Amino acid sequence: MKLATQIFLGFSVVIGISLTDSYVNYNLSQKVNRNTDYVAKSETIIRNSSRLHKSIIEMQSAFRGFLLTDDKAFLDSYHEGGRVIPKLFIEQRSLLLNSASQAAKLDTITKLHQEWIIYSNKLIEAKKSVKINPSLYVDLFENKLRKQVGKKINDRISLIFRAFDRAEYRLRESRRDALNHSVERTRTYSVIFLALTVFIGVLSTVYIVRLITRRIALMVNLADNISKGEFAVVKDDKNDELTSLSVSLNSMSETLDKNIKELEKRNKELNQFAYVVSHDLKAPIRGIYNVTQWIEEDLGNEVSPQMRNYLNIIPDRIKRMEDLIHGLLDYARISREKPLREKVDVNTLVKDIAELIIPEDFKIQTFGLPVLITEKIRLEQVFSNLISNAVKYSKSDVAGEIVIRCREVNQFYEFSIRDNGIGIEPQFHSKIFEIFQTLREKNAKESTGIGLAIVKKIIDDQHCTIGVESELGKGSTFVFTWPKH
Amino acid sequence: MESKNVILLVDDDELDVISVQRSLKKLDSEYELFTAYNGIEALEMLQKQVNEGVHHLPDVILLDLNMPKMNGIEFLRVIRADENLKHLKVFVMTTSGEEADRKTTEQLGISGYLIKPLNFNNNTKRSDSMDGFVQFHLRKILASKHLQ
Repeated sequence: MKLATQIFLGFSVVIGISLTDSYVNYNLSQKVNRNTDYVAKSETIIRNSSRLHKSIIEMQSAFRGFLLTDDKAFLDSYHEGGRVIPKLFIEQRSLLLNSASQAAKLDTITKLHQEWIIYSNKLIEAKKSVKINPSLYVDLFENKLRKQVGKKINDRISLIFRAFDRAEYRLRESRRDALNHSVERTRTYSVIFLALTVFIGVLSTVYIVRLITRRIALMVNLADNISKGEFAVVKDDKNDELTSLSVSLNSMSETLDKNIKELEKRNKELNQFAYVVSHDLKAPIRGIYNVTQWIEEDLGNEVSPQMRNYLNIIPDRIKRMEDLIHGLLDYARISREKPLREKVDVNTLVKDIAELIIPEDFKIQTFGLPVLITEKIRLEQVFSNLISNAVKYSKSDVAGEIVIRCREVNQFYEFSIRDNGIGIEPQFHSKIFEIFQTLREKNAKESTGIGLAIVKKIIDDQHCTIGVESELGKGSTFVFTWPKH
Repeated sequence: MESKNVILLVDDDELDVISVQRSLKKLDSEYELFTAYNGIEALEMLQKQVNEGVHHLPDVILLDLNMPKMNGIEFLRVIRADENLKHLKVFVMTTSGEEADRKTTEQLGISGYLIKPLNFNNNTKRSDSMDGFVQFHLRKILASKHLQ
């Protein structure tokens, strides 16, 4: 499966859960709102009921007060009840549309109250006209009031009110329970969904991160190995975006491996070739030299001066050939052999070389040459070639002088070898490091054109640099770097 | 009674043969020199001498390594495996500076490993030239024979 698909799937699941969570929460909150409304409505009904009941009782009290005291002030309160109570009935009735049993109770109360109003109105009217018609009042008083007709109605009203309130209280309690329950459920669902979202989110993130990290680590490992020269390949049985990267890496690794092996083989062949060629070139010259010596030995004094002259040329040319072959051998050996690393006192090294190579009238000065651990033979080859060059290309009319200095540049020593010789024209500065390039005529016996090529190759092998600063007639300064370790 | 030195030179280079011949002539010593140009020729020669009697076997074999048909190492391997020839004293005289060649021949059993000089510097010591080298070592080899 593609990584993008996997990531998409992970996010989809998380988003899906969140959406479900929101939907469920929305539904639950609707229910909570509904239940809150129910509870609030119930409370209003209870409040209204008590107001209604109170108003009815007050009206009854006023009625009794008037009958007993004949004080007209009671009638104000009575009429006030008569105005307010119907409104309260209507309001309460509108709240009970969904509750048939409670509505029925209220209707009964309404009916009873109206009965009572008829009864009380009659008595009040009779009481008001008691002076005109006392018998009516007495009749009513004796037949109704004395027989507790009103009281019975009122008792029934109170009874129904109590039943009504009890029922409404029960309803309110059950609705409050439902509200609490739905709030509780909303909370539980939210926690469960949150936990689920976090769990799946974290799980899929960890899974994808681990997947990618592991795969990338494999490739980093491969790249590391490549840089160390081990051309392994990574196994990848997945089929996603990273697979194409590993496929490219693998093919790069294989190509590099193949090319480097090929290159190593070529290099080896070339070195072998150079070695064999120069080695085999020596045998015939050795023969020529031997035969020349035998001729000289056997002929002795019979040789004419002219002939001796010719015979003397042969060893000179053989010497030159030998130098060339030696140069080639040395050149081929630089990469073929890895010399021993040992402690080298460069000061001593230079003195030993100078003793062997430079003539007595030459002056050599050294400043600040270090002691280091390195491939001694290679450093020796560099110095001996550069010093012998300084000697070869010295001015014939001036006493020779060589100054060798050293300074530290980061991980390297920078050596400079300055002479007061004939110098090199700037256009030849890069050419002198190429093999077989000599600025002297061919018959000059000292110059083979290999020395500086050897120096350059040794320094290249050390991943260092060499250069020359020089002007014709003003001496030359060769500057090269060498690793400290 | 001092017997004549019998030397077998196995070398394909005619100049080396001449050099040895000239050197021996200069050394004041009784000798008899046989030459073979490769391993096969040398083996045939030795086989013939074995058939004629052990007294004729050489005191010293000077053996070159790079030769056609049968090279020095192969030759050495054959004579070291041969009951009649395995005691023979062999000096390797070669231009090969390869460490592997020296190891192999030393394991097979040799009395000396001499690398022929390839320098022709007029100024160097006499023993660095081929003639000087051959004379120097032959003198030593023959002397060691007398000391036995």
